[in-house]
Amino acid sequence: MKINQKKQQALVAYLFILPGLLLYIIFLIYPILKALQISFYEWNIMLGSQNIFVGMANYERALSDPIVGVALKNTTLYTIVTVPGQMVIALFIALLLNKITKGKIFFRTIYYIPVVTSWVVVSLLFRYLFQSPKGIINFIIVNVLGVVQKPIPWLQEASTAFFPILSLGIWKGIGWTMVIFLAALETISPDLYEVAEIDGANGWQKLTGITLPLIRPTLVFTSVMLMIGGFNVFISVFLITQGGPLQRTEVILSYMYRQAFNYLDFGYGAALSFILTIIIAVLSFLQIRFLRKPEEIV
Amino acid sequence: MIKQNKVYILFGLALLLSVVLMSCAQPPVVEGPEQDEIEIAEQVTISFWHTMSEPEMVQLDKVVAIFEADHPNIKVETLNVPYDEFRRKLITSMAGGTAPDLIRSDIIWVSEFAYMGALAKLDQLMPDFESYKEAVFPGPLSTTFYNGHYYGLPLNTNTRVLVYNKQMFADAGIDAPPATMEEFLSVCEKIKTLGDDKYCFADGGTYAWAVNPWIWSFGGDITDEDITVASGYLNGSKTKVAYEFLKDIVDKGYMHPGILGGGVDAWGGFGNNEIAMLFEGPWFTPFFSGTLDVDYGYALTPAGPGGSISVVGGEDIVMFEQSQHKNEAAEFIRFMLSEETQITMAEGGLIPVIKSAIDTDFIANHEYFGYFLEQLETAKARTPHPNWIKMEDIYNLAGAEYLIGEKSFEEAFDAAAEEIDALLILPE
Repeated sequence: MKINQKKQQALVAYLFILPGLLLYIIFLIYPILKALQISFYEWNIMLGSQNIFVGMANYERALSDPIVGVALKNTTLYTIVTVPGQMVIALFIALLLNKITKGKIFFRTIYYIPVVTSWVVVSLLFRYLFQSPKGIINFIIVNVLGVVQKPIPWLQEASTAFFPILSLGIWKGIGWTMVIFLAALETISPDLYEVAEIDGANGWQKLTGITLPLIRPTLVFTSVMLMIGGFNVFISVFLITQGGPLQRTEVILSYMYRQAFNYLDFGYGAALSFILTIIIAVLSFLQIRFLRKPEEIV
Repeated sequence: MIKQNKVYILFGLALLLSVVLMSCAQPPVVEGPEQDEIEIAEQVTISFWHTMSEPEMVQLDKVVAIFEADHPNIKVETLNVPYDEFRRKLITSMAGGTAPDLIRSDIIWVSEFAYMGALAKLDQLMPDFESYKEAVFPGPLSTTFYNGHYYGLPLNTNTRVLVYNKQMFADAGIDAPPATMEEFLSVCEKIKTLGDDKYCFADGGTYAWAVNPWIWSFGGDITDEDITVASGYLNGSKTKVAYEFLKDIVDKGYMHPGILGGGVDAWGGFGNNEIAMLFEGPWFTPFFSGTLDVDYGYALTPAGPGGSISVVGGEDIVMFEQSQHKNEAAEFIRFMLSEETQITMAEGGLIPVIKSAIDTDFIANHEYFGYFLEQLETAKARTPHPNWIKMEDIYNLAGAEYLIGEKSFEEAFDAAAEEIDALLILPE
């Protein structure tokens, strides 16, 4: 009877998992495996048409494609700039919010608003902000602040076109990171700070000696998550610069999208996305392996 | 406890069932009449996807209502898709087997879709195709021809003509729109005296729709006439003169810098008296009717050594091979190409493609169609080739590299022409 009941409970549990699992298999696992298969073919999109097996040719092509090099460089740059950018600013805000008692929820909501806005809407918004010569950013820096003489042609020059994308990436991600940090900060016992104060520790020492070590697992977690998000940058590039000017702001996913959905070269597109997957998997593994202490690794 | 578990099991099963049912759900199919019923015409729904503007859709609704009244057994479901999304949406639907029966396709996509085997051969499917072939203009018709067959019929045509801001012209003391490239330059010189933030001309980038009129008007071209080679044409001396002209007006600040990247709010700038001239299609006036507070005029594009040559745009109506209701869809094509329908659609700003419609009073007395019809006499079509999208990207990039000053004309365009040469040859 007891075993029976246990079995029954297990069955119930499995039944509850099943719908989600089915959706997961149909909409995630199957497309991923299908994409892997496509990446080894010269794939024809039409139903019932011939697909030619080309082995590793799509991957070899990616390695010698100069635009893939540019895209990899940009994707890496985006991650290197936006991940620490989001984390430092978010930590700063979280520390401030952790101190105040009045209006905490209000500010937390304010900072979280960019996170829930649509990428599409804010991307288009940033594109207008950075218009040249008559965008708002140019108006502010030329006419209000006077820091530069002439409007900066943000989106027309390769050297500046990535700036709107980077600033959008940081601005939009701060809220999420801040909320996670705030939750972690709230778990730290105030006693620790009191003890440190008695011992004469200053603010900086408390930060580096107590706060940061104690939220270290959270820091690692957010850095991994943000890194994955950073490498997947797409919508902002697609909508703000379309990879231009001169394909200088192309990132891996925008280039993949161009190959697959503009040129219908789905084999090459699939290969590019798997290259990105491999890069992300390796980097995530390294981050977790080296940033976490051995006892933290489950 | 056990009773509660049973509830859970039931609940879980219900969830599972709903998921299974959801994944099995078929798109609703209109069933035919029962076998033993009297033979009445089968009720069918045909789908028609398009990229029409607001004023065009108003007209479309009218003609669809007429069609449905005339054909009680056919229902037409129209779907408006934003232009930028249309090609991708079609490709996904083709791959998924859910393509619509009919679409209004940009003329530049037809050969690609035909090459993919996605389109029905209308010249085989419609016994009366020949009469429609005779009725429409040959230029637009040619965009439906691929590899020995006609895959569609033209639906409406257009081209770009010059629109100019009369206020800015008056302020700068210019009394007539430029007819030649020399006059264009002198107009720009005067416009620039109005202020540093005033631009003589604007366009959204270096894509074909924007640069081809300049290339052709200077006597250049993209490929040879038989579309076999780009080298010697795209990087030829006449095309070079055209790009040098564009670079000159970019460098002098006559051209809005948006052409180099980031695009430009051309209509906004035109309406705010910041941009003096644009190349525009026949949708310009209907789109702005009542909203644009600026006095403007139409003129032909300025003529260069090659003449005043603009770019042909427009749409074809094509049928997908996947269509389950080819006869009904063909009936809708016939209806869309009738003189009456063509005139009704023309009221929304679409220029008809059937010869008889052009001779009607409505078209002959139209306030601005005349400029477009005259421009169409010399306008050329973009290269009808399955690899067109890639080809255009290549010389779009080369044009930007040259205009920005990143590369010399030869560096940018010799390489581009060579790349396009390779794309022109299709694998068997």
